[in-house]
Amino acid sequence: MVLRTGYFLKRALRNMRQSPVLSLASVATVAVALALLAFFAIAVLNVQQLTASWGETLAIVAYLDDVPDDKAINDWVKDIESYPEVAKVTFVNRQAAVERFRKRLGDDADLIEGLGPEVLPASLEISLADDWRNEAAIATVVERLRTDHRFTDLQYGQGWLEKLEAFLLLLRVSGSALGGFLVFAALVIVANTIKLTLYVRQDELEAMAMVGGTSLFIKLPYLVEGALQGLFGGVIALGLSFLIFEVVLQKSLGSLLLITGIDTISFLPPIWQGMLVVGGSLIGLLGSLFALRKFVRFGSP
Amino acid sequence: MIQLFNVCKAYQRDQNALSDITLRIEKGEFVYLTGASGAGKSTLLKLLYCAERPTRGQILVNGRNITRFGPARIPYLRRDLGIIFQDFKLLIRRTVFENVAFPLEVQGRKRFEISKKVYQTLKNVGLEHRLHYYPLQLSGGEQQRVAVARALVVDPLILLADEPTGNLDPEVTLDIMELFKNANARGTTIIMATHDRNLIQQFPRRIVSLTAGSLAVDDLPLPRLSAEVTGQP
Repeated sequence: MVLRTGYFLKRALRNMRQSPVLSLASVATVAVALALLAFFAIAVLNVQQLTASWGETLAIVAYLDDVPDDKAINDWVKDIESYPEVAKVTFVNRQAAVERFRKRLGDDADLIEGLGPEVLPASLEISLADDWRNEAAIATVVERLRTDHRFTDLQYGQGWLEKLEAFLLLLRVSGSALGGFLVFAALVIVANTIKLTLYVRQDELEAMAMVGGTSLFIKLPYLVEGALQGLFGGVIALGLSFLIFEVVLQKSLGSLLLITGIDTISFLPPIWQGMLVVGGSLIGLLGSLFALRKFVRFGSP
Repeated sequence: MIQLFNVCKAYQRDQNALSDITLRIEKGEFVYLTGASGAGKSTLLKLLYCAERPTRGQILVNGRNITRFGPARIPYLRRDLGIIFQDFKLLIRRTVFENVAFPLEVQGRKRFEISKKVYQTLKNVGLEHRLHYYPLQLSGGEQQRVAVARALVVDPLILLADEPTGNLDPEVTLDIMELFKNANARGTTIIMATHDRNLIQQFPRRIVSLTAGSLAVDDLPLPRLSAEVTGQP
């Protein structure tokens, strides 16, 4: 059988040449479905990267009504930095807080002109370590801060964090559902397209069965054909999604994306690109398999 | 070579296409299967190449009980058979050479062996000059000769022909019959379904006649056939 690989490949390519319209329909179906999937994957990937970068800014802010002396603050900083969840603690005094606020106001900075530093409280900004940027870890740290240091005014974007995690979950679930649906649709369409080609070549299938072709011998060229169509579809989908990524996302929408805070968007990583092409072949192969399952019989001509 | 024991075939309940057929065909025989349309000739042939299964009874081909064959064994039975149809059943998208090479490809023969064998067989049927033609570029008689070549290229033990001359004019029919005679002379058992009386008179051989699915006549081989089979004068 190994020695006959060339024979089956040749026959598969020949079948495709003989039914160019049907073959193109299969290739196009896989290409469109996988391009949509790839495009959605690019979106999910970039949103995940963006939300991960938002996560990096997650911090707990402990506002201090009365500012103690430097030694006491240093002790607090050292103590809090010893928590396993905490990466860094920064003390922001009233003056620094006002300066920061002024910068953030930009052209409207004159709104706080004449106000003294006492309008804003001093604070300790507590950044979390990479592995602890989640709701549960934040809750633990907040609890300890309340008990150990009797901080009462603590802010850590409670509602926002919950929404972010819910949004990410929704994105993953809807991404998987849509992806599954697209793959299934591609599979059904490829199976039906191959079934059509089998109807067209029914005489050939019958002749093969009549002269003693085994089930595997009859099926193999069609399985190879399906896999090849899927492979071509996968490669086209990859090219198409890259083209859309380059032309639409990078060039046309680049400036628009910058406004939303997305400075760089990335294409699918190499492993995902490989999966797209291999996935195309698998869709084609499975499509053929479904089509052939009940088609090849040893019935009468 | 072929034995049928009380074979029945019903496509629908209480409607037998074949009823209680018991028949024995020896190696190297040439048998006409005759009868009116719907008498069961094609059904009997289909049972022999396992396109249909008998409802009852047993069929032995070359000592093997083919009624017990599962789908995996059927292809190997068919490799011992040559099958010819009235409508030729050639692959119109393939050349004459490719059509005849097809059964050998199925059997996994080597390429040089296939080329040699196909050329020789096409030469035997007088079509070596049509190697690269497509079936639709040939006359009906030539197409049937390609079908005969496709059946004979594997040196079958048994040739099953279902009305092979039904669509051909008398002159071409004689050509085809000559090919069958030659194959039979080389030892191939031939079962040919036909209702062409002239043909049977011209080439008299054993006749198995069916009427409404039952065996009506089974004439013994004529002396001429015995002489050919045995090689004695």
